[in-house]
Amino acid sequence: MERNINLFISLLFLMLYTFTAHSQVSKVVVTTNIEGNFELQRNGEPYYIKGAGAKDHFDLLVKSGANSIRVWSTNNKAFLDSAHKHGLTVTLGLHVRPERSGMDYNNEYAVKGQIEQLKNEVLKYKDHPALLVWGIGNEVDLRYSNFKVWETIEILAKFIKEVDPNHPTMTVIAGVDPSKAYYIKKYCPSIDILGLNVYGSIENAGANLRKFNWDKPYIVSEWGVNGPFEARTTSWKAKIEPPNGLKADLRLRRYQELIEKDKERCLGSYCFLWGQKQESTATWHGMFLSNGNPTEAIDVMQYCWTGEWPQSRAPSIRDISLENIGWRKDHIVAPSSQVTLKIEYLKYNNDKVIFEYVLYPEAFSDKIGGDIQRSPEPINFEIVNQHDNELVFISPKIKGAYRIFAYIKNELGQSSVANIPFLVE
Amino acid sequence: MKLNIKIVLGALVFCIMSCSYMNNISIYEPSISISSFEKFPHKILFTNSEDNGLWGVKNNNCKQVSFETTNSYVGKDHIHIKWNASKCNYIAIGLKWANYKVKNLEPIIESAAIELHVRIDSGELSNTPMFFILVDYGGNQCRAKINYLDIEGGKIDTEWRRIRIPLQSFNYKKRGVNMSNIKELRLEFQRQGDLHIDNIIIVPHQHNYENTIDTFTKVFNSHPIQLGEGKEYWWGINTKYSSSLKFGSFFKNESVFVNLDKSKEMQWNTFGFSPYKWLRVDLSSIYTTSALAFKIKANEIPKIQAFLFAYTGKKRRLQKILNESHFVDKENGIFEAYLPLKSLEGHGEFRWDSLKEIRFKILEDTQFEIGDFQLIEFRGNPKKPTEWKGI
Repeated sequence: MERNINLFISLLFLMLYTFTAHSQVSKVVVTTNIEGNFELQRNGEPYYIKGAGAKDHFDLLVKSGANSIRVWSTNNKAFLDSAHKHGLTVTLGLHVRPERSGMDYNNEYAVKGQIEQLKNEVLKYKDHPALLVWGIGNEVDLRYSNFKVWETIEILAKFIKEVDPNHPTMTVIAGVDPSKAYYIKKYCPSIDILGLNVYGSIENAGANLRKFNWDKPYIVSEWGVNGPFEARTTSWKAKIEPPNGLKADLRLRRYQELIEKDKERCLGSYCFLWGQKQESTATWHGMFLSNGNPTEAIDVMQYCWTGEWPQSRAPSIRDISLENIGWRKDHIVAPSSQVTLKIEYLKYNNDKVIFEYVLYPEAFSDKIGGDIQRSPEPINFEIVNQHDNELVFISPKIKGAYRIFAYIKNELGQSSVANIPFLVE
Repeated sequence: MKLNIKIVLGALVFCIMSCSYMNNISIYEPSISISSFEKFPHKILFTNSEDNGLWGVKNNNCKQVSFETTNSYVGKDHIHIKWNASKCNYIAIGLKWANYKVKNLEPIIESAAIELHVRIDSGELSNTPMFFILVDYGGNQCRAKINYLDIEGGKIDTEWRRIRIPLQSFNYKKRGVNMSNIKELRLEFQRQGDLHIDNIIIVPHQHNYENTIDTFTKVFNSHPIQLGEGKEYWWGINTKYSSSLKFGSFFKNESVFVNLDKSKEMQWNTFGFSPYKWLRVDLSSIYTTSALAFKIKANEIPKIQAFLFAYTGKKRRLQKILNESHFVDKENGIFEAYLPLKSLEGHGEFRWDSLKEIRFKILEDTQFEIGDFQLIEFRGNPKKPTEWKGI
């Protein structure tokens, strides 16, 4: 009798466990709403993605009004767990190796090995409660030549359809193009959503998708300011980066006028990058500085997602010049000469702002896409005079390409940054 | 006598044929490859640190290498390496492999693999950023990485797991490595990790995968070529969003009816198509003697700009605004247009083996139909597109 009771209790617990575990998995579908627009639904409710490419700073992300993060690979389960703890969903990337990393899509062994490995990852994560959408590959089309990569994308998407009916599939491309739209439409019928990594090309992305016959929905999977690959360069090929204040303005306009307005096809977006990375400079895409301080881009995203500015706003650098020549122009100085750097900024509601200036050698890199770049080390330099928004310093005595950064922050550490590349010759 | 000669000749023919037939028999081939493997004398790369030489085992900021004597897979000790490549460009250890004797891997490429056993101290990985590099005595290097298919159990965990790197998976052909003159094996480590490695040996292995051929290029080497056949290869025509461009029907094959009025909303003014099914189109052998030809039905010549795009190359776009010199009036509102490819500025830098798209932009409000796109032979002066005898 006692044995039977024990068995019954065990069974009850097992059923409860199964039920609980299963109920944690969200059912996410792509559907069309009453107005005929595409819509993502999570557990039966409309779910518009207010997201960021992020691996940390989740507290601030939630506080700013976001509901989702995008990660690029499955190599760290902690991101999903942490996101879930914070009430964020995750677009989870399956890292399909791009051709530019040496992957040969004619090599059956490499292709099969990659597919089997990623299928295993799908099985590992498909029931994670934070999972929202599968991101199969990121920019596999960037400088590719072998269109067979789409076969791999489809095999994985089809596999997901078989084993995970709860989460839609997306593949992410680097900018819109008629041939890519054709190939994905034709060879990847199991893809539900197109992910667009669009920086400068976000301006026409929605219209172009329609022109290029893409008839499913899309997510702006990476967006922000124009990338270094789109930037003007100096005569010595250093990329010219706009001051952070102007970049923040651009983010605001793009969100309001391009992303939010496309109610028919766009399921939401992931801003890039809720963190920091080196891409030509250490401040180009990152919305945080390398010391973890948030910049005014965070304030902008809060405004985009909630319609309200934060109580305390970061100061914002609007302009920077060297020897009274603006940041858009070339700057060439003599070795060991006295040079004046000046910034213009908005203080907002800050009583006090703190200034800092750092000099680096220019970080030339031939890396593309999200490929990892190494940060240069700062250089010691002689400051002659520093007064508020003006710095007088001595240029390096060694000829070469350099870049000087100006940072300002308030007492909470909310920051802004701008830089100017210059040549010593 | 004659009969004897016939018998002798017959016997001779039989013998010759029999010999040649026997020569073609391949039943001994498998045993040749097995014996090649057995004959290969340098099967052990590492089983313990005393007997097998290594270099690059000095510790620095980026790597810590130790030879641990506990929980080895074979022998007295095994390699334990911890690495972090964030501050180093290159992290590797080298296996002197039979004390740098020349290794001839040619006979065993198709039938052998490098095998090793690995484990980690905790957790589970599906791969590790570790690469295998074969170096020949000419200094050439080829590489291979761990493939999921050849990881025992599909994971790396606290158990010793067998990994195999088939010799065929090294990119030795691409890198010009002389596989009959191999000096050493290097293990390169990227990003960061912590790994125990033991028992690096050569083992027999059947690698049943092949390289397929890229079939995404369409080569054209003669004229005329009909371009853009099939509506699915066109873009810019979607009447749900814009009524300014529609597929037409006046010309044979695909044509576009243009009715552009920029004072109205959503007036698309650009369309394009793939010359051939969005494949890379290779015109490299004929582009210098080719012209893009098409027809227009209109009251007057419209102002249009033509673009050619390539899939790859430094210069990926060529463009030209067409003028009256490109058109021949065929009367009754029909015009023929000719655009010699050599007349496009920058044509020498364009990858003609990788043509992707032909695109048109309508530059002013107008109404016309455009179609019958072809690539024709053109051997005249590119500056005088309509003054060639072939036209």
